[in-house]
Amino acid sequence: MPMGPRKGVFPADSNPSIHVGVGSRIALISETHAWAYLLLLPSFLLVLAVLIYPVGSGILLSFREMRLTRPDLGTAFIGLRHYRELWSDPVFHISLVNTTIWALVGTTAQFVCGLISALALNRGLHRLLPGMRLARVLILLPWVMPSVVAGHVWALMLDSRLGVINDMLVRLGVLDRYMAFFADPQTALPAVLVVSTWGAFPFFTLFYLAALQGIPDDLYEAAGVDGAGLWLQFRHITWPMLVPIVVATIVLRMIGMVNAPDLLLVLTGGGPGHATQVLSLFAFQKAYAEFDFGYAAAVSVVMMLMLMAFTVVYVRISGVTKE
Amino acid sequence: MFVDDPDSRLHPLPHRLDRRRFLQASAMGAAALMLPGCGGPPPPDGSQINYWHHFTNQTEIRGLQRVTEMFLAAHPDIALLQENIPNKDFMAKFTAAVQAQSVPDTTMVTSERLGNMHAMNSLVDLTDRVDNWPMKPDYPEDRWQGISVDDRIYGVPAFAFVDWMYYRLDWLEEAGIAGPPTTLGEFQDTAIRLTDPAKGRYGFGMRAGDGGQFIVVDMLEAFGSPIVVDGKAAIDIGKATEALRFFSELFTVHKVVPPSAPNDSYRQIMESFRTGQTGMLWHGTGSLTEVQRSLSGQQFGTAVKPAGPEGVITRLSYLYNGMMKSDNADIAWAWVSFWGETAPALEFMEITGYFPASARVAQDERVTGNPYFAAAIESVQVGRLPHQFVGADAWGRLTVLPAFQKILTGDHTPAQAAEEMAAGLEKILS
Repeated sequence: MPMGPRKGVFPADSNPSIHVGVGSRIALISETHAWAYLLLLPSFLLVLAVLIYPVGSGILLSFREMRLTRPDLGTAFIGLRHYRELWSDPVFHISLVNTTIWALVGTTAQFVCGLISALALNRGLHRLLPGMRLARVLILLPWVMPSVVAGHVWALMLDSRLGVINDMLVRLGVLDRYMAFFADPQTALPAVLVVSTWGAFPFFTLFYLAALQGIPDDLYEAAGVDGAGLWLQFRHITWPMLVPIVVATIVLRMIGMVNAPDLLLVLTGGGPGHATQVLSLFAFQKAYAEFDFGYAAAVSVVMMLMLMAFTVVYVRISGVTKE
Repeated sequence: MFVDDPDSRLHPLPHRLDRRRFLQASAMGAAALMLPGCGGPPPPDGSQINYWHHFTNQTEIRGLQRVTEMFLAAHPDIALLQENIPNKDFMAKFTAAVQAQSVPDTTMVTSERLGNMHAMNSLVDLTDRVDNWPMKPDYPEDRWQGISVDDRIYGVPAFAFVDWMYYRLDWLEEAGIAGPPTTLGEFQDTAIRLTDPAKGRYGFGMRAGDGGQFIVVDMLEAFGSPIVVDGKAAIDIGKATEALRFFSELFTVHKVVPPSAPNDSYRQIMESFRTGQTGMLWHGTGSLTEVQRSLSGQQFGTAVKPAGPEGVITRLSYLYNGMMKSDNADIAWAWVSFWGETAPALEFMEITGYFPASARVAQDERVTGNPYFAAAIESVQVGRLPHQFVGADAWGRLTVLPAFQKILTGDHTPAQAAEEMAAGLEKILS
C-alpha cells in the first residue's frame, strides 16, 4: 500500500515548507478535515453577521436600559426589569391575546382559502378549462400588491361613507346602514383579518399548486379504477402528499403574521382603544414613538419565544419529521 | 471560440479551471472588485445637500416644488436631494438615521418633536446663524420659542399651522343660525341643530383616529386642566374628566358625529366635510385649498375655533427646518433660511393655504385681503403653542388617543380615561 502524505501527516524527515510550494501546500491541506472547515468559514461568518449577531444583540438589549431620548439613564444592565414591567403592562396582555387571535385565525383562513383555490385551479388546469392559466396569474395579484397599498385600497372599499362594500351589503340587505368596521372594537380585528386573508392566501395557493402538479396522475387514475371518489382521493393521495408543504407554509405564514404590523398600522393603528393592538405593533410603537428600545426588545424576545414554541410543538404534532 | 476548439472537447479539464485555479481566479476577482472601494466614494463636491420632509398631500408637494424651483434659481450651483417620508414613519426613519450616523443635511422639524430630536442630540445649534440673519426681526419671539431648548435655537420657521374651524355657511343659513359658534356651548347647540340623519348630515366631523390626540389635549386645556408644570405632570383629573365628558358626549349622547369617528383621521374628516356629510370641521389653514376645490364661497366659511370655559382651544404651531450635520453648513443654512424669506413664504402660502410664520409676510395684501384668512389672523393672536416636553408625541399617540377612543367605544368612563392619561404622563416624565 502506498504511504503518501495523507490527512495532514507528513513524513517525519520532511519539511513541506522547504520541499513544496504554496500551491502544493494548498493541495495537501485540501485533503484534510481542516479544508472542510475552511470552506464552511465564509458561510459561518455570514450567518454570524446577519443572523446570530443581530438576534443576540436584540436579546442582550432586552436586559439593558436604552431610551434614546433619555441619555441620562445610560445603558446599564437592568436584568429582568423590562420583563417584569411587561408582565404588569395591561397593553401587553391585550396585545398578547390579540396576537394569538390575529395569527391563528388569519393563518387558518389564509390556509383554507389557499388550499381550496389551489385544488380548484389544479383541477381546472388538468382539464385545461379556458382561462385557467390566466386565473393562475390573476390569483397571485393580491400577494404581489404591497400591503400598505392594499391597506389603503381596502380602507376605501370598507369606508363607512363611500365604501363600495358597505354599499353592496346594504343593497343586498345584509346591513341596514353603512357600518364603520374599523371604528367598532367588535368588528375592527375581523375586518383587518379579512383584508389580511385576501392579501396572503395566494402565498398558500402558489405553494400548493406547485405541489399538486407534482403528484403523478397515475395515482388518481388507479384510485379511480378502484372506485375512490373525489373525497377519498383527496384524503388518501392529495393530503398525504401535501402534508410536508402544508407544515412548512403554515409555519412560515404564522411567523409572517406575528411579525408584520403593516396592515394594522395602516388600517387601525392598533385602535379603537387597543382593540387591534398586537405585539409587533406594540414593539414598533415602543421603539419608534417612545424610543424605548430596551422595552421594545423585550417584547420582541417574547414574540420570538412564542414563535419558537409554536414551531416546535406544531412540527412535532404534525409528525412531518418522522420520515 | 473555446467550445469550437477541437482540443477542448478532447481534453476539457486541463483547459478549464481546476479547483486551485478557480480559487486563485476568485481571489483575484474579489481583489479587483474591492479596488474601486479602496478609494472610497466619489469626492464630495460640496454643493449638494439633502432634505427630509413629511409633506403629504398634492397641494403641499406642489408648494414644495415651487419653493425648490425658486431656491435652485437663486442658487444654481447647489444640488438639492429631497426625500419624502410619511409623517407616521418619520420619527422611525429619523431615529434609525441617528443611530446609524447617516443623517441628512437638513430636515423638517415640528415643535412637538423638537424635544425628542434634541434629546437624541441630532440637531445643529443655529443660534449664532439666526442672530446674524437679517430676517430675524420679522419673526416675533413666539416663533423662536417653538424651536428653542435652553435658549438655543435649532431651526428656522417656514410656515404656521393655525388651527381654525370650517363650517357650512349654507347649512347654518338653512337652520336659521346667525353665525358660527364662538363658545363650546354654542358649538354643541349648533352641531345638534345641523345634524339630520334623514339627510345623512352630522353636525361635526370629529377626528378621533390618528392625529386626534392633539384635539383631545386642547380640550383638556380649554376646560382648565394644565398638562405639565415645571417639568412635572399636572393634569387636573376633575377638569380633565369634565372636558372628556363634554367632548365624548358629542358622539355617545348627542350623536352629532359620524359613527366612524373613533377611526377617523385627516382623510376621513376632510372627505366628510367636502362631500356634505358634516357641517363643521376643526383643522388648520393648510387644508383651505383642498376645501375650496370642493365647496364654493357661498357654501363654507372659516372661523376661530370656539373657546372653552377656561380658555381658547386654538393651537398655533410653526413648522421649522433644521440642520442635522455641519458638513455643508453654509449650503444647508442657505436652504433652511430660504424658507423664511418673503417671496418663497408668499408663494407657498398661495399654493397651499398655510399661513406665513413671518409677521411681515402676514401683513402682505395677499394675506390681509383674503377674507378666509381673517379667522387665521385672529387665531394667531389667541393661539397657544404646543407642548414640547420630551415624550409629548408618544404620550399623545399611545396614551391620550387610545384612552379617548375607549370612551367613545364604551370601554372607559371619562374619569377612567382622565386617570389613564395622567398615569401615562407621569410615567413618560419619570
